[in-house]
Amino acid sequence: MTTQQTRPSLDDPRIAIPSTSEWYEPAPTAQTERQAEFLNLRDGEMFINMGPQHPSTHGVLRIVVKVNGEQVVDLDPVLGYLHRGVEKLCENADYHQAICYTDPLEYVASLFCEAAPVAAFEKLMDVEVPRRAQYIRVLTMELNRIASHTLFQGWMALDLGGITPILWSFIERDEIVDMLAALTGQKLLYNYYRIGGVNGDLNHEFMSRLGNWMSRAAAQIDSNTGLINENELFVRRTRGLGTLDQATALRMGVTGPNLRATGVPFDLRRDHPYLVYPELEFNVPTRDEGDSLARYMVRIDEIRESIRIIDQVLHEMPDGPVMAKLPRLIRPRPGRAFGAVEGPRGAYGVYAISDGTDQPFRMRIHDPSFVHLQLVGPLTRGNLIADTMAVMASLDPVMGGVDK
Amino acid sequence: MAWSRLTPGGRALAVLLPILSIGGAALTALLIVAGPFIGATIGANLPIVRFLAASVITFLVTVPVAFLLIYMEMKIIALMNLRIGPDRIGPAGAVMSVVHGLKVLMKEDFTPPSVDVPVFTLAPVVVYLASFMTVMVIPFAPDLTSAGLEFGLLYFFAIGGLGVVGLMMAGWSSFNKYSLLGGIRAAAQAISYEIPLTLSVVGIIILTGTLSLPKIVEAQSGSLLDWFIFRQPLAAIIFFIAITAEANRTPFDNTEADQEIVAGFATEYSGMRFGFFFFAEYVNVFIVSALFSALFLGGSNAPINLPFNPEINVNLGSLGVILPILAGLAPVAGTLIFAAPIFMASSKIKGWQALLGGFLIFGALSTAVIGFWAWAMLPPIADLLFFLLKTFTLIFIFVWMRGTLPRARIDQLMGFAWKWLLPASLLNLFATAAAVLLTS
Amino acid sequence: MDRALASALQERFSPTLLTPVRQRFDETEIRVSIADAVPTLRALHDEPNFAFEMLIDLCGVDTGEEMQIVYHLSSSTTGDWLRVIVPGVDRSAPRVNSLVSLWPGAEWMEREAYDMFGIIFEGNRDLRRIYMPDDYLSHPLRKDFYLADDASRSPAAGVRNMERAGTPADATRATALRKSSGA
Repeated sequence: MTTQQTRPSLDDPRIAIPSTSEWYEPAPTAQTERQAEFLNLRDGEMFINMGPQHPSTHGVLRIVVKVNGEQVVDLDPVLGYLHRGVEKLCENADYHQAICYTDPLEYVASLFCEAAPVAAFEKLMDVEVPRRAQYIRVLTMELNRIASHTLFQGWMALDLGGITPILWSFIERDEIVDMLAALTGQKLLYNYYRIGGVNGDLNHEFMSRLGNWMSRAAAQIDSNTGLINENELFVRRTRGLGTLDQATALRMGVTGPNLRATGVPFDLRRDHPYLVYPELEFNVPTRDEGDSLARYMVRIDEIRESIRIIDQVLHEMPDGPVMAKLPRLIRPRPGRAFGAVEGPRGAYGVYAISDGTDQPFRMRIHDPSFVHLQLVGPLTRGNLIADTMAVMASLDPVMGGVDK
Repeated sequence: MAWSRLTPGGRALAVLLPILSIGGAALTALLIVAGPFIGATIGANLPIVRFLAASVITFLVTVPVAFLLIYMEMKIIALMNLRIGPDRIGPAGAVMSVVHGLKVLMKEDFTPPSVDVPVFTLAPVVVYLASFMTVMVIPFAPDLTSAGLEFGLLYFFAIGGLGVVGLMMAGWSSFNKYSLLGGIRAAAQAISYEIPLTLSVVGIIILTGTLSLPKIVEAQSGSLLDWFIFRQPLAAIIFFIAITAEANRTPFDNTEADQEIVAGFATEYSGMRFGFFFFAEYVNVFIVSALFSALFLGGSNAPINLPFNPEINVNLGSLGVILPILAGLAPVAGTLIFAAPIFMASSKIKGWQALLGGFLIFGALSTAVIGFWAWAMLPPIADLLFFLLKTFTLIFIFVWMRGTLPRARIDQLMGFAWKWLLPASLLNLFATAAAVLLTS
Repeated sequence: MDRALASALQERFSPTLLTPVRQRFDETEIRVSIADAVPTLRALHDEPNFAFEMLIDLCGVDTGEEMQIVYHLSSSTTGDWLRVIVPGVDRSAPRVNSLVSLWPGAEWMEREAYDMFGIIFEGNRDLRRIYMPDDYLSHPLRKDFYLADDASRSPAAGVRNMERAGTPADATRATALRKSSGA
């Protein structure tokens, strides 16, 4: 005879429910000086645990916030809920497989996550990418940048409490994503770039969708933008919030729109050119304020610049092959290379070391969101709980990239 | 008759039939035996019985109103978001909110350990009680209020403030920091906005000299320009902003800002207790809209008085057997009459589309005719319809705001109340008092 | 690729450079010892003719014989890129100086290097694990961390406890420690 195992239930009187005083988790022991400082609660302060399941944490992020009433005294982001060990996986995969491992890192704009390792591997292989493939890469990356920025626009409004803008901005994003799906066969993780070119030439469906969209893109984006930018509540909540000055931004390693919002015109596309960007004409939009509104506005200006780039690319694209001639099995000579692209969130880089085998010896992935997330603490200290969300939305981190 | 072989419907019948028959028989016997006594008791305590009946009816009115509001919000915001919204249950998804209510009823009502159980249980009741008690003074039409109190406005503010106690109870007892923040936000917000809310109405009280809502509505009868929104425009603006905050609607929905504090005071609630909070919120929206339309939009008064007094005397009984035939034929004939020109207008229009268009035109026309007839001949019903029209227009504006605006921050919210609304309402009060003094 | 930068670097830092300045593709690379790392980086940051204001990346590398710290610097004014490699960090007890005083943004990247390689950065006030849980024992990106369930190398290996540093007894030759020949 075996005793029947019953499912434990909280209603079961035999199970002792801990009393309120025992209900608190034991406080974590401080491992470092900084953590000890954080865990030390002064009078009137308490911890609030935001995440990993919280309505506005852009993925699976946990933030422990120390608050005094509504005011944020300090906060400590806890990462690792999405950690997949991509760097280790890439070391155990061959060069082609490594590209698909990096794909889902920044799932909002995954073409950039492909472009960086591909650039690094191409440097290792010393291969010249055909001109048409370079143009196709620029075209698809700029499309993906617009898709990412429009989604940011909606997210930002959503984190400030507006529900409509996110659905409006998904119209643009859906259109671009469908377009890229017609080209690559995938809506989110494209896996389109190959070492030495791209996987397949532009097709008819992509071009016809792109033509349709380009004819109305600017007007549509202006109408979406008008819904948010001309809203007094939105402007009042973001102006002067989370102001980042130039010197701090440079010392914190901030890149991308967040850096350009402080007035530093640093853009890898122009300052460290790759592909055919030197031949294209575009501005690097900057703002001087460095606050959340400036970070938002820089991204909106970038959407317009991207449309301009796409227009030029479509006019200047040459004919020709889209793949360089390469062996199927990639075995680069031993060496080191750093491939970097200007993603929608900043400098996205891959540092690859080859030891002559068919697998990268070490592949370091640098994600800009990881650096930007450090800023949430310094920028929100002293503001309110609601501002934490506004600042985080304006920094636009994607947790898939942060946690690798 | 094996129980296991019965269908669910059969089981229900088998259970209900004996109960109903026995209960009916018992009720009949009770009425026969104690009928005179009951009648005498009711006759002797008529005000109490009337009050009880009114309360029950008011309670029952809040439920469909809340359902309707939830459906409105789902559908209108969906259309603004370029979504379809509910479309599966009922025509255009109209029964969706009722099904939501049933779902909430069937969900597990979980009490987390370590909450303060009595307070936690009582909080939704207090919140719901506060909202439906205020329905009782709303003047739907002349002589159509549950309790036509002389001090109705005062009663409204007093009982309306009680809801905050419930929110605070929920926030405090839940043993959750999000709940606590939500409860405290609710209390701070309600206290701050109650002051301009009350002060903005004092102008109307000075002008009318009464606190009774039916009398305030009566004071606005006449033309459109007699409405207080034109005589007290500043007060109307202040009052509108304040009720938005009182009802916790966007942009002042800080108490349940899901991006910041998850669900505020309701974080730990589930099942029907959460449903009570949800219901109370929508009943609140209805109440504040109704109050705004009663105070500023003339309540049940028509926007214009009919310039003539139409004498429409149709003795329907004299038609005899022709009446049902006419009633059956008129819609068909009307539909066909209006469908024919649509069908002929273009060859692209299909037959069913023309019929649909004809039916819609006929429906609109007949509704207009019946409505006009009701306006002229049945004043109570017309008054009720005008009142509901104004109220639901305001509710639409609330839903519209929710679809468009982001949320204000809590410090901006409080600063706005104390720095702008309070001085403005005081200014309005002094200006009104001065005007009354000078003209009298 | 900027030849002038290479000669300027060679001239300025010649006593501390372990190898001559290397340039390949569009990147410049210098190698300095552990002791010289922070002064060199500070000079690169401060001196106006270099002005490498931005730390683009900081990462650890385990070559199988030693640890390396690799810094990628960029200048927002001249657009130059520079890689600074600090080789020869002891594999059994890796310990280098922190860069947080110079670039506060390096804090999390150093935490990551600590988490993944066990490199201790002296001067970092918040050196604790960033991705792995606090009670985790090993450092996953070290070359002796055996990826047990990697199907591409050992199809029948199955899922094993990942929390096991060192090469297991039943590892095949292919899964055994891989050492760099070129790095």
